Formats: sequence, C-alpha cells, structure tokens
Amino acid sequence: MAISFPSTEYFEALKGQMAAQPEKFRRLGFIDTTFGVRVGQNGKARNFVLEFEVFDLKNVREVDAIDLRRVDFAIEGDSRVWREMLENISRNGEADSLHDINTLAHFGEQLKIVYDDPDGHDKLYRFMESIQKFFDLSSKVEVSFS
Amino acid sequence: MAYLSTTNYLEDKNFVDKWLYTMRTGELDLSWMKASTEKIKPHEANARRGLTYRDLDLGSYGFTGVPEKVRTNRSYAPRGAEIPAGVPDSQPWVSRKSEVWAFNTESYYEEAVTRQWNVTTDIPWERLDGVELPETTGKALSQLMTFLTEVEMIATDTPAMWLPRLNPDFIEVKAFIAAQAMDEARHTEAFRKRALTTGWGLMQASPMNEMALKHLRDADSFSEMSVALHLVAEGNVLTLFRFSEYLSPTDVDKRIFRLVMQDEARHVGYGMQHFKYVLENFPEKREVLHAHLDEAENISFAGAAATELTEAFIILAGGGLKRENIEEGIKITTKFNLKQMEEHFERLEKCGMPERKERSKLFQMYQAGVAAAEAAGIKL
Repeated sequence: MAISFPSTEYFEALKGQMAAQPEKFRRLGFIDTTFGVRVGQNGKARNFVLEFEVFDLKNVREVDAIDLRRVDFAIEGDSRVWREMLENISRNGEADSLHDINTLAHFGEQLKIVYDDPDGHDKLYRFMESIQKFFDLSSKVEVSFS
Repeated sequence: MAYLSTTNYLEDKNFVDKWLYTMRTGELDLSWMKASTEKIKPHEANARRGLTYRDLDLGSYGFTGVPEKVRTNRSYAPRGAEIPAGVPDSQPWVSRKSEVWAFNTESYYEEAVTRQWNVTTDIPWERLDGVELPETTGKALSQLMTFLTEVEMIATDTPAMWLPRLNPDFIEVKAFIAAQAMDEARHTEAFRKRALTTGWGLMQASPMNEMALKHLRDADSFSEMSVALHLVAEGNVLTLFRFSEYLSPTDVDKRIFRLVMQDEARHVGYGMQHFKYVLENFPEKREVLHAHLDEAENISFAGAAATELTEAFIILAGGGLKRENIEEGIKITTKFNLKQMEEHFERLEKCGMPERKERSKLFQMYQAGVAAAEAAGIKL
C-alpha cells in the first residue's frame, strides 16, 4: 500500500528500511544530527523533525513549526520539488546527478537549507552521504503524493 | 642521529648481568605492579556506539581533568600512568590545553574513524568507462583536480607535522589530527585518480595557491595553523567542494565530492570548536587571532581568485567557452565566491568574534563584491 508523502508514516517507513540494512549504514559511519524537513504547499507547510543517532533514525515527529535553535539545520522546499526528487529516486534507485540534495539546495533555488548555527549547517555536509542514502531508500517504498 | 641513548646498554656490564641473571634464576622484580595509578572500569554509555574516548573520561585518565598548563608530563607516558624517573623529555612545543583543545574533540575523532572510506573501492570508477567529456570541460575538470591534489598534499603535511609537537597528554587531539592527515591523504588520492581518468592528464600547478598553502604549513603556533587551516582554508574548501559537487559533470564526480565534503566539514567543525575554546579559555589571545586572520584572509582571497582556478570554475559552471557559457559561468562562480566569504564571517560570528567584520579587509572586499554582482544583475 502506498504511503503518503509528507507524513510521519513515510519517514517511519524509511527508518524501517534503514534498520533493514544495518551493514550499509554502519559502513557509512556515525550519524549524529537532528534536522528538520519542511514541505510547503499552497502557502502552508508540514514540518518534521528527524533525530539520527549512531547509525539509525532514532525518532521522527511532526511539529507545527521548526525551531532552528533546536535542530542543526532544516531542508525546506515546495512539495513540487520534493515530489520531483522522490520520483527521480524511485525511477533510478537513487537520486541522479540533478536531483541529489546538495545540487537541489546549493543556491537555494529548489530546496533551501536554513539554520541558526553554521556549525549545525555544516553537519548536513558532515553526514551528507548518510543523509543522501537515507532519502535514496525512498526507492524501496511505494509513495503517494497528496 | 639527533638523540642518543644516555647509556650504551650493549656494553653496560650491570645491565647485561641483570638480563642474564633473570633468565637464569626466574627471579622477577615486579615493582611495576605497585604502580600508584587509579583503578577504574569504564563502560559504554551507548552499546550501539561502542566504547568511546568519552567513556574513558574518568578520573586521572580523563580529558576533563587535564589542566590548562600541563607541567607534570613531558614524556610519552600515557595520561594517567605512573611516570618513573628516567623517562626522556619528549620536548613538546605545545603543553597548553587552550592552544589545541576543542569542545567535543573526542567525538570528532570517533566520527572520523567510523566515517573512513576507500578511494579505490568506494568510488564507482567503472561508471567512467566510455565517458568522454568535451575537451574544454575535461581540461577544466582536470585543472580543478590538479589544484585540489596540490591543496590536499599540503593539507596532509600540515597537521601531520604538528603531531610530535603536541604534549602526549592531549591524546584525543593527537588522534583527531592523525585521522585528519589520513583524510587528506585520501583526498590527494581521489583527486589525482580523477585527474588522470579525465584522459587529459594533470594540468598546471598553481603558484598563487602554493603560496597560500605554504602559509598554512609554516604557521608559528598550533592555533595559528588551526585558524588558517581548519577555519579559513577548509571552510573555503568545504564551500568549494559543495560547489564542485553541484557542478560535477558525472555521478562519479558527485560521489567523490560528497565523500570528501564529509571529511572537510568535520575538520571545519573541529576548527570552529577549537576557535570557540581559545576565545573562552585564553581570552588574551583574541588580538593574536585577529592578526592570524588578517594574514589568512589575505592569502585565502588571493588563492580563491587565482586565474587557473577561477577560469576552470567558470568553464565548468557555464559548460564551455562560448560567450553565453562564459557569462553564465561568471554569474555562478561569482555567487560561489561570495558565498564562501559570507559563510566564513558567519562562522566567526557564531564562534564569538562578531567584531571581525569591522576589522576585516576581506569583509570590505565581500561588500564590494556584493555591490559589483548586484550592479551586474547577478541575483544572489
């Protein structure tokens, strides 16, 4: 059954996929970061906080708003951009060279990285491969878009 | 030979007699068993993570208790061991904690160890089979890789040369610096391999950047080196790696840049936490750090604007040498250059040096660059 994006169920499904491949994520190393995901649609937004620890996604929750002082950074984007990224991942098994997070977010034209502390911002890049591989797990989940 | 043993043991009759006596009689001394050291039993705080250096932060073995000025150990005795008379002076240059320490140093090392990767086996080199970039783009990519190989060779030497100079009580810092040297050696390997797989061979070395890099290598103090290397140079290079990933012509290049940026961001993290630690614990160094930054910003500005680097970026960003390619390339490269400077000042402000902008000539250059970009219609 398709899982709706965005939703906590979607991120829980990726968490399950991550746990099912412990060696892959162990090989990528510790990932200790808490970040936000903001999906905008028609002037509104749904916000999620993802808390990673050691090799796993420890916790995910939906929040009314993302407090940038309580996360390392947040990835913001319109639902159209998120959908294009996830559909690209679904087609290719992983993001192609035009749809990886750094490319989409680099100049803030598609996705945007927002942060309070540059040290937190740099954590996106410290754990980039793990975060990219986490989103690439979307290829293993049937996703529907609201 | 710079150091000779104070005794010629092979010709010392008492030493040789004792060696033979022990073999003959089995009579043991066992005085080392009475070492007056602390008995502890560390445990993993998190079993998934394993036994970390932070778990060993206990009593006389811990890093929390290391004093600002380490006077009691100048040997290679491990922190917490009994130090008998007769250990040689290892002559560390740096025995002051705030000169090297960073908040969470031990975590940066643990992260470094788990996030190591292998250029030979983790990069899908086979995907380059049959990939032929146009001559202009191929040469520009090779020039970028040639420049980055040069950068990473000095970035390997620079932290490594400080290792024997640090007091052995700073175990966690030394471990992090050793891991950094390995990271930089791996980056050298990655960029050299990618330069040669373009099919265009290596391009040209960069005098401007070598001058900048020599400044890092020849720093007078660890803090000066760290400010120039971890905070300024690697901060700029982190932005450059993200930009290079964005511009990468193949998914192989994308993967290389995603992996190197992880290591680079970790080094910048250490640099920021060290800078904060110095400002909080050695406040009289603030003026010295400003002086380091004056010089580091001067050379980083010159290095980033070096012709052989800038032109390669303009070609990669614009996709070629036609007029419209160059115009587009200049727009994108200008945005990148200004972003590098903006992020540099953001980091300094968050580390506790907000006044830097008022003093910095680089900040004046940043403002001039923003004005020029806006006048040229470049959307920032």
